[in-house]
Amino acid sequence: MAIEERLRTFIQNNFLLGDKNRAIKEDESFLQSGIIDSTGVLELVNFIEETYKIKVEDEELIPENLDSIKNLIAYIQRKSAKTA
Amino acid sequence: MDFHKNILDINSEKECERICEFIKEQVFTHFRREGAVVGISGGIDSALTSALSVRALGKDKVLGVFLPEKESNPISLTYGELLAKKLGIRTEKVDLTQALESLGCYKKRDEVIKKISPAYDSSYKIKIGLPQDLLERDRINYFSLKMINPKGEEKSFRLSKEGLLGIVAATDMKQRSRMIQLYYYAEKYNYMVIGTTNLSEYAQGFYVKFGDGGVDLEPIAHLYKTQVYQLAKFLDIPEEIIKRVPSPDTFSAVVSDQEFFFCMPYDLLDLLLYAQENKIPLSKVSQVLNLSEEQITRAYRDFDQKRKASIHLNQNAPNLL
Repeated sequence: MAIEERLRTFIQNNFLLGDKNRAIKEDESFLQSGIIDSTGVLELVNFIEETYKIKVEDEELIPENLDSIKNLIAYIQRKSAKTA
Repeated sequence: MDFHKNILDINSEKECERICEFIKEQVFTHFRREGAVVGISGGIDSALTSALSVRALGKDKVLGVFLPEKESNPISLTYGELLAKKLGIRTEKVDLTQALESLGCYKKRDEVIKKISPAYDSSYKIKIGLPQDLLERDRINYFSLKMINPKGEEKSFRLSKEGLLGIVAATDMKQRSRMIQLYYYAEKYNYMVIGTTNLSEYAQGFYVKFGDGGVDLEPIAHLYKTQVYQLAKFLDIPEEIIKRVPSPDTFSAVVSDQEFFFCMPYDLLDLLLYAQENKIPLSKVSQVLNLSEEQITRAYRDFDQKRKASIHLNQNAPNLL
Protein backbone atom coordinates (compact mmCIF):
# COMPACT_ATOMS: atom_id res chain seq x y z
CA MET A 1 0.00 0.00 0.00
CA ALA A 2 1.29 3.47 -0.81
CA ILE A 3 2.46 5.60 2.11
CA GLU A 4 -0.31 8.16 1.65
CA GLU A 5 -3.07 5.57 1.56
CA ARG A 6 -1.71 3.80 4.64
CA LEU A 7 -1.47 7.04 6.56
CA ARG A 8 -4.95 8.15 5.58
CA THR A 9 -6.41 4.77 6.57
CA PHE A 10 -4.63 4.87 9.94
CA ILE A 11 -5.78 8.42 10.66
CA GLN A 12 -9.35 7.70 9.59
CA ASN A 13 -9.52 4.56 11.72
CA ASN A 14 -7.91 6.02 14.80
CA PHE A 15 -8.68 9.73 14.98
CA LEU A 16 -11.82 10.30 12.97
CA LEU A 17 -14.07 7.69 14.51
CA GLY A 18 -16.98 10.10 14.74
CA ASP A 19 -16.50 11.51 11.27
CA LYS A 20 -15.47 8.76 8.87
CA ASN A 21 -16.22 10.87 5.80
CA ARG A 22 -14.00 13.78 6.85
CA ALA A 23 -11.59 14.55 4.03
CA ILE A 24 -8.10 15.58 5.08
CA LYS A 25 -6.26 17.95 2.82
CA GLU A 26 -2.69 17.00 2.04
CA ASP A 27 -1.22 20.03 3.78
CA GLU A 28 -3.79 20.39 6.56
CA SER A 29 -2.23 20.73 10.03
CA PHE A 30 -3.47 17.89 12.26
CA LEU A 31 -2.83 19.87 15.41
CA GLN A 32 -4.38 23.16 14.31
CA SER A 33 -7.45 21.55 12.78
CA GLY A 34 -7.89 19.37 15.87
CA ILE A 35 -7.77 16.09 13.92
CA ILE A 36 -4.97 14.83 16.17
CA ASP A 37 -3.83 16.13 19.53
CA SER A 38 -0.33 15.77 20.93
CA THR A 39 -1.23 12.42 22.53
CA GLY A 40 -2.50 11.27 19.14
CA VAL A 41 0.79 12.30 17.57
CA LEU A 42 2.53 9.83 19.88
CA GLU A 43 0.24 7.11 18.54
CA LEU A 44 1.03 8.19 15.01
CA VAL A 45 4.76 8.06 15.78
CA ASN A 46 4.37 4.55 17.11
CA PHE A 47 2.55 3.58 13.93
CA ILE A 48 5.16 4.93 11.55
CA GLU A 49 8.03 3.47 13.61
CA GLU A 50 6.47 0.02 13.47
CA THR A 51 5.18 0.18 9.91
CA TYR A 52 8.25 1.68 8.26
CA LYS A 53 10.89 0.32 10.68
CA ILE A 54 12.31 3.74 11.38
CA LYS A 55 13.28 5.41 14.64
CA VAL A 56 11.74 8.83 15.21
CA GLU A 57 14.26 10.75 17.31
CA ASP A 58 13.09 13.22 19.96
CA GLU A 59 14.40 16.20 18.01
CA GLU A 60 12.41 15.03 14.98
CA LEU A 61 9.11 15.46 16.82
CA ILE A 62 8.36 18.71 15.05
CA PRO A 63 5.39 19.91 12.96
CA GLU A 64 7.61 20.11 9.90
CA ASN A 65 7.97 16.31 9.99
CA LEU A 66 4.69 15.10 11.42
CA ASP A 67 1.91 17.67 11.26
CA SER A 68 0.25 16.94 7.89
CA ILE A 69 -0.08 14.12 5.40
CA LYS A 70 2.36 15.88 3.09
CA ASN A 71 4.97 16.40 5.82
CA LEU A 72 4.63 12.83 7.03
CA ILE A 73 5.13 11.37 3.57
CA ALA A 74 8.23 13.50 3.00
CA TYR A 75 9.60 12.60 6.43
CA ILE A 76 9.02 8.85 5.98
CA GLN A 77 10.64 8.94 2.54
CA ARG A 78 13.66 10.83 3.89
CA LYS A 79 14.09 8.48 6.83
CA SER A 80 13.55 5.35 4.76
CA ALA A 81 16.15 6.52 2.25
CA LYS A 82 18.64 7.00 5.09
CA THR A 83 18.08 3.56 6.60
CA ALA A 84 17.99 1.76 3.24
CA MET B 1 -4.82 48.01 25.08
CA ASP B 2 -1.95 48.73 27.43
CA PHE B 3 0.69 46.05 28.00
CA HIS B 4 3.78 46.20 30.19
CA LYS B 5 5.66 43.94 32.60
CA ASN B 6 3.66 45.14 35.61
CA ILE B 7 0.27 44.79 33.93
CA LEU B 8 -0.73 42.03 36.35
CA ASP B 9 -0.08 44.09 39.49
CA ILE B 10 -3.23 44.34 41.56
CA ASN B 11 -4.43 46.23 44.58
CA SER B 12 -3.91 43.40 47.06
CA GLU B 13 -6.10 44.80 49.81
CA LYS B 14 -9.07 45.41 47.54
CA GLU B 15 -8.68 42.06 45.81
CA CYS B 16 -8.54 40.23 49.15
CA GLU B 17 -11.72 41.98 50.23
CA ARG B 18 -13.44 41.07 46.98
CA ILE B 19 -12.49 37.40 47.27
CA CYS B 20 -13.43 37.25 50.95
CA GLU B 21 -16.86 38.69 50.17
CA PHE B 22 -17.28 36.03 47.51
CA ILE B 23 -16.31 33.18 49.85
CA LYS B 24 -18.52 34.50 52.64
CA GLU B 25 -21.52 35.02 50.38
CA GLN B 26 -21.15 31.61 48.75
CA VAL B 27 -20.60 29.61 51.93
CA PHE B 28 -22.94 31.33 54.39
CA THR B 29 -25.64 32.81 52.14
CA HIS B 30 -25.80 31.00 48.81
CA PHE B 31 -25.10 27.44 50.00
CA ARG B 32 -26.03 28.02 53.66
CA ARG B 33 -23.12 26.01 55.01
CA GLU B 34 -21.27 26.49 58.25
CA GLY B 35 -17.68 26.69 57.08
CA ALA B 36 -15.01 25.57 54.64
CA VAL B 37 -12.59 22.69 54.11
CA VAL B 38 -9.29 23.32 52.34
CA GLY B 39 -6.79 20.63 51.34
CA ILE B 40 -3.43 22.01 52.46
CA SER B 41 -0.53 20.91 50.27
CA GLY B 42 2.26 23.04 51.67
CA GLY B 43 2.21 25.07 48.45
CA ILE B 44 1.32 28.68 47.85
CA ASP B 45 -2.12 28.21 46.26
CA SER B 46 -3.62 26.27 49.14
CA ALA B 47 -1.85 28.58 51.61
CA LEU B 48 -3.46 31.64 50.03
CA THR B 49 -6.86 29.96 49.79
CA SER B 50 -6.71 28.95 53.45
CA ALA B 51 -5.69 32.45 54.54
CA LEU B 52 -8.49 34.02 52.47
CA SER B 53 -11.00 31.54 53.88
CA VAL B 54 -9.94 32.38 57.43
CA ARG B 55 -10.25 36.09 56.69
CA ALA B 56 -13.68 35.56 55.14
CA LEU B 57 -15.23 33.09 57.55
CA GLY B 58 -13.15 33.19 60.74
CA LYS B 59 -10.54 30.68 61.85
CA ASP B 60 -13.09 28.55 63.73
CA LYS B 61 -14.98 27.97 60.48
CA VAL B 62 -12.07 26.63 58.45
CA LEU B 63 -10.72 23.09 58.53
CA GLY B 64 -7.35 22.35 56.95
CA VAL B 65 -6.77 18.79 55.76
CA PHE B 66 -3.31 17.31 55.12
CA LEU B 67 -3.37 14.43 52.65
CA PRO B 68 0.10 12.90 52.42
CA GLU B 69 0.96 9.53 50.90
CA LYS B 70 4.18 7.55 50.81
CA GLU B 71 5.57 9.42 47.79
CA SER B 72 4.74 12.95 48.96
CA ASN B 73 7.61 15.32 49.52
CA PRO B 74 7.93 15.41 53.36
CA ILE B 75 8.35 19.19 53.21
CA SER B 76 4.71 19.44 52.05
CA LEU B 77 3.45 18.36 55.45
CA THR B 78 6.01 20.44 57.33
CA TYR B 79 4.99 23.60 55.46
CA GLY B 80 1.31 22.72 55.71
CA GLU B 81 1.57 22.42 59.49
CA LEU B 82 3.51 25.67 59.65
CA LEU B 83 0.72 27.44 57.78
CA ALA B 84 -2.10 25.91 59.85
CA LYS B 85 -0.32 26.94 63.05
CA LYS B 86 0.08 30.48 61.81
CA LEU B 87 -3.59 30.69 60.80
CA GLY B 88 -4.74 29.00 64.01
CA ILE B 89 -7.09 26.60 62.25
CA ARG B 90 -8.19 23.07 63.14
CA THR B 91 -6.58 20.36 61.06
CA GLU B 92 -6.95 16.72 60.17
CA LYS B 93 -4.30 14.48 58.66
CA VAL B 94 -5.21 11.50 56.50
CA ASP B 95 -2.45 9.31 55.10
CA LEU B 96 -3.71 8.18 51.68
CA THR B 97 -1.10 5.44 51.15
CA GLN B 98 -3.32 2.53 52.16
CA ALA B 99 -6.27 3.79 50.11
CA LEU B 100 -4.06 4.27 47.07
CA GLU B 101 -2.62 0.78 47.50
CA SER B 102 -6.15 -0.66 47.64
CA LEU B 103 -7.05 1.22 44.47
CA GLY B 104 -3.98 -0.16 42.75
CA CYS B 105 -2.55 3.31 42.08
CA TYR B 106 1.12 2.43 42.62
CA LYS B 107 0.81 -1.11 41.20
CA LYS B 108 -0.92 -0.05 37.98
CA ARG B 109 1.56 2.77 37.43
CA ASP B 110 4.55 0.56 38.20
CA GLU B 111 3.35 -2.09 35.76
CA VAL B 112 3.36 0.54 33.01
CA ILE B 113 6.84 1.71 34.00
CA LYS B 114 8.21 -1.84 34.15
CA LYS B 115 7.09 -2.36 30.56
CA ILE B 116 9.10 0.72 29.60
CA SER B 117 12.12 -0.23 31.70
CA PRO B 118 12.23 -3.73 33.22
CA ALA B 119 15.01 -2.56 35.57
CA TYR B 120 12.53 -0.33 37.44
CA ASP B 121 11.71 -1.16 41.05
CA SER B 122 10.53 0.75 44.08
CA SER B 123 14.07 1.94 44.91
CA TYR B 124 13.87 4.28 41.88
CA LYS B 125 12.35 7.73 42.06
CA ILE B 126 10.31 8.80 39.05
CA LYS B 127 8.76 11.84 37.43
CA ILE B 128 7.40 12.81 34.03
CA GLY B 129 7.75 16.08 32.16
CA LEU B 130 7.83 17.94 28.87
CA PRO B 131 10.94 19.19 27.03
CA GLN B 132 11.77 22.70 28.16
CA ASP B 133 12.68 24.21 24.80
CA LEU B 134 9.16 25.40 23.94
CA LEU B 135 10.28 28.90 22.98
CA GLU B 136 13.45 27.86 21.20
CA ARG B 137 12.08 25.66 18.44
CA ASP B 138 8.91 24.37 16.82
CA ARG B 139 8.12 21.06 18.40
CA ILE B 140 5.31 18.69 19.25
CA ASN B 141 4.78 18.05 22.94
CA TYR B 142 5.90 14.69 24.20
CA PHE B 143 6.33 13.52 27.76
CA SER B 144 9.40 11.74 29.03
CA LEU B 145 9.66 9.48 32.04
CA LYS B 146 12.71 10.16 34.20
CA MET B 147 13.89 7.36 36.46
CA ILE B 148 16.47 8.10 39.13
CA ASN B 149 18.22 5.17 40.80
CA PRO B 150 19.44 5.17 44.44
CA LYS B 151 22.88 6.36 43.25
CA GLY B 152 21.24 9.43 41.73
CA GLU B 153 21.81 8.31 38.13
CA GLU B 154 19.05 9.45 35.80
CA LYS B 155 17.57 7.70 32.76
CA SER B 156 15.00 9.21 30.47
CA PHE B 157 12.46 7.47 28.22
CA ARG B 158 10.11 9.10 25.74
CA LEU B 159 6.61 7.96 26.57
CA SER B 160 4.29 6.35 24.07
CA LYS B 161 0.58 7.17 24.19
CA GLU B 162 -0.12 4.02 26.24
CA GLY B 163 2.79 4.75 28.57
CA LEU B 164 1.72 8.34 29.18
CA LEU B 165 -1.97 7.63 29.62
CA GLY B 166 -1.27 4.62 31.85
CA ILE B 167 0.97 6.64 34.19
CA VAL B 168 -1.33 9.68 34.27
CA ALA B 169 -4.49 7.62 34.84
CA ALA B 170 -2.92 5.84 37.81
CA THR B 171 -1.32 8.99 39.24
CA ASP B 172 -4.56 10.98 39.01
CA MET B 173 -6.01 8.59 41.59
CA LYS B 174 -3.97 10.61 44.08
CA GLN B 175 -5.88 13.84 43.41
CA ARG B 176 -9.17 11.97 43.29
CA SER B 177 -8.48 10.28 46.63
CA ARG B 178 -7.75 13.70 48.11
CA MET B 179 -11.14 14.90 46.85
CA ILE B 180 -12.94 12.01 48.55
CA GLN B 181 -11.38 12.87 51.90
CA LEU B 182 -12.13 16.58 51.56
CA TYR B 183 -15.80 15.81 50.88
CA TYR B 184 -15.89 13.43 53.82
CA TYR B 185 -15.01 16.29 56.13
CA ALA B 186 -17.17 18.80 54.26
CA GLU B 187 -20.25 16.62 54.69
CA LYS B 188 -19.40 15.69 58.25
CA TYR B 189 -19.23 19.34 59.33
CA ASN B 190 -21.74 20.82 56.86
CA TYR B 191 -18.89 22.73 55.16
CA MET B 192 -18.02 23.54 51.54
CA VAL B 193 -14.85 22.37 49.79
CA ILE B 194 -12.81 25.35 48.64
CA GLY B 195 -10.63 24.83 45.55
CA THR B 196 -7.09 26.11 45.10
CA THR B 197 -6.72 26.23 41.30
CA ASN B 198 -5.35 29.50 39.92
CA LEU B 199 -5.96 31.04 36.48
CA SER B 200 -2.62 29.98 35.02
CA GLU B 201 -3.56 26.37 35.79
CA TYR B 202 -7.26 26.69 35.01
CA ALA B 203 -6.67 28.27 31.59
CA GLN B 204 -4.64 25.30 30.39
CA GLY B 205 -6.37 22.44 32.16
CA PHE B 206 -3.64 21.84 34.71
CA TYR B 207 -5.88 20.10 37.21
CA VAL B 208 -7.61 16.75 37.56
CA LYS B 209 -11.30 16.40 36.86
CA PHE B 210 -13.04 15.15 40.02
CA GLY B 211 -9.65 15.52 41.70
CA ASP B 212 -8.36 18.97 42.63
CA GLY B 213 -11.00 20.24 40.17
CA GLY B 214 -13.72 18.57 42.26
CA VAL B 215 -14.65 21.39 44.62
CA ASP B 216 -17.57 23.70 45.46
CA LEU B 217 -15.89 27.08 45.00
CA GLU B 218 -12.82 28.30 43.15
CA PRO B 219 -12.00 31.65 44.76
CA ILE B 220 -8.58 32.14 43.12
CA ALA B 221 -9.28 30.76 39.63
CA HIS B 222 -9.35 34.34 38.27
CA LEU B 223 -5.83 35.09 39.60
CA TYR B 224 -2.67 34.52 37.61
CA LYS B 225 0.02 32.74 39.60
CA THR B 226 2.01 35.97 39.86
CA GLN B 227 -1.06 37.58 41.46
CA VAL B 228 -1.30 34.63 43.85
CA TYR B 229 2.22 35.57 44.97
CA GLN B 230 1.19 39.21 45.42
CA LEU B 231 -1.75 38.31 47.65
CA ALA B 232 0.29 35.71 49.54
CA LYS B 233 2.83 38.38 50.46
CA PHE B 234 0.05 40.78 51.45
CA LEU B 235 -1.48 38.15 53.74
CA ASP B 236 1.88 37.35 55.27
CA ILE B 237 2.05 33.71 54.17
CA PRO B 238 5.25 32.13 55.57
CA GLU B 239 8.29 32.95 53.46
CA GLU B 240 9.24 29.26 53.10
CA ILE B 241 5.96 28.58 51.31
CA ILE B 242 6.27 31.61 49.05
CA LYS B 243 9.79 30.60 48.07
CA ARG B 244 8.96 26.93 47.47
CA VAL B 245 9.12 25.88 43.81
CA PRO B 246 5.54 25.01 42.76
CA SER B 247 5.07 21.28 42.19
CA PRO B 248 2.14 18.89 41.72
CA ASP B 249 3.82 16.62 44.32
CA THR B 250 2.39 13.46 42.81
CA PHE B 251 5.64 11.75 41.75
CA SER B 252 8.31 10.25 43.96
CA ALA B 253 10.98 12.52 42.40
CA VAL B 254 10.50 16.25 42.83
CA VAL B 255 9.14 17.84 39.66
CA SER B 256 8.26 21.51 39.24
CA ASP B 257 5.10 22.74 37.50
CA GLN B 258 7.36 24.25 34.83
CA GLU B 259 9.19 20.98 34.19
CA PHE B 260 5.99 18.93 34.28
CA PHE B 261 3.65 21.03 32.17
CA PHE B 262 4.21 24.75 31.54
CA CYS B 263 7.75 24.74 30.07
CA MET B 264 8.43 28.32 31.14
CA PRO B 265 8.54 30.28 34.41
CA TYR B 266 5.24 31.56 35.77
CA ASP B 267 6.09 35.27 35.41
CA LEU B 268 6.57 34.84 31.67
CA LEU B 269 3.71 32.38 31.30
CA ASP B 270 1.26 34.76 32.96
CA LEU B 271 2.19 37.72 30.77
CA LEU B 272 1.88 35.61 27.64
CA LEU B 273 -1.48 34.20 28.75
CA TYR B 274 -2.68 37.74 29.44
CA ALA B 275 -1.38 39.02 26.10
CA GLN B 276 -3.06 36.22 24.18
CA GLU B 277 -6.35 36.58 26.03
CA ASN B 278 -6.41 40.34 25.50
CA LYS B 279 -5.21 40.18 21.89
CA ILE B 280 -2.22 42.45 22.48
CA PRO B 281 -0.43 43.05 19.15
CA LEU B 282 2.50 40.66 18.69
CA SER B 283 4.89 43.54 18.06
CA LYS B 284 4.01 45.05 21.45
CA VAL B 285 4.35 41.72 23.29
CA SER B 286 7.66 41.13 21.55
CA GLN B 287 8.97 44.53 22.60
CA VAL B 288 7.89 44.20 26.26
CA LEU B 289 8.95 40.59 26.80
CA ASN B 290 12.03 40.69 24.63
CA LEU B 291 10.90 37.65 22.66
CA SER B 292 10.61 37.26 18.90
CA GLU B 293 7.15 37.12 17.35
CA GLU B 294 7.96 33.56 16.34
CA GLN B 295 8.60 32.59 19.97
CA ILE B 296 5.37 34.20 21.10
CA THR B 297 3.43 32.38 18.38
CA ARG B 298 4.97 29.09 19.52
CA ALA B 299 3.85 29.75 23.08
CA TYR B 300 0.30 30.66 21.92
CA ARG B 301 0.13 27.48 19.85
CA ASP B 302 1.11 25.46 22.90
CA PHE B 303 -1.56 27.19 25.04
CA ASP B 304 -4.20 26.50 22.37
CA GLN B 305 -3.30 22.84 22.16
CA LYS B 306 -3.39 22.40 25.93
CA ARG B 307 -6.76 24.15 26.05
CA LYS B 308 -8.16 21.93 23.31
CA ALA B 309 -6.88 18.81 25.04
CA SER B 310 -8.60 19.77 28.28
CA ILE B 311 -12.01 21.04 27.13
CA HIS B 312 -13.79 18.20 28.91
CA LEU B 313 -12.30 19.24 32.26
CA ASN B 314 -14.44 22.37 32.42
CA GLN B 315 -17.59 20.45 31.83
CA ASN B 316 -18.72 19.24 35.21
CA ALA B 317 -22.35 18.49 34.51
CA PRO B 318 -22.75 15.56 32.13
CA ASN B 319 -24.34 16.23 28.75
CA LEU B 320 -28.01 15.27 28.76
CA LEU B 321 -29.80 13.97 25.68
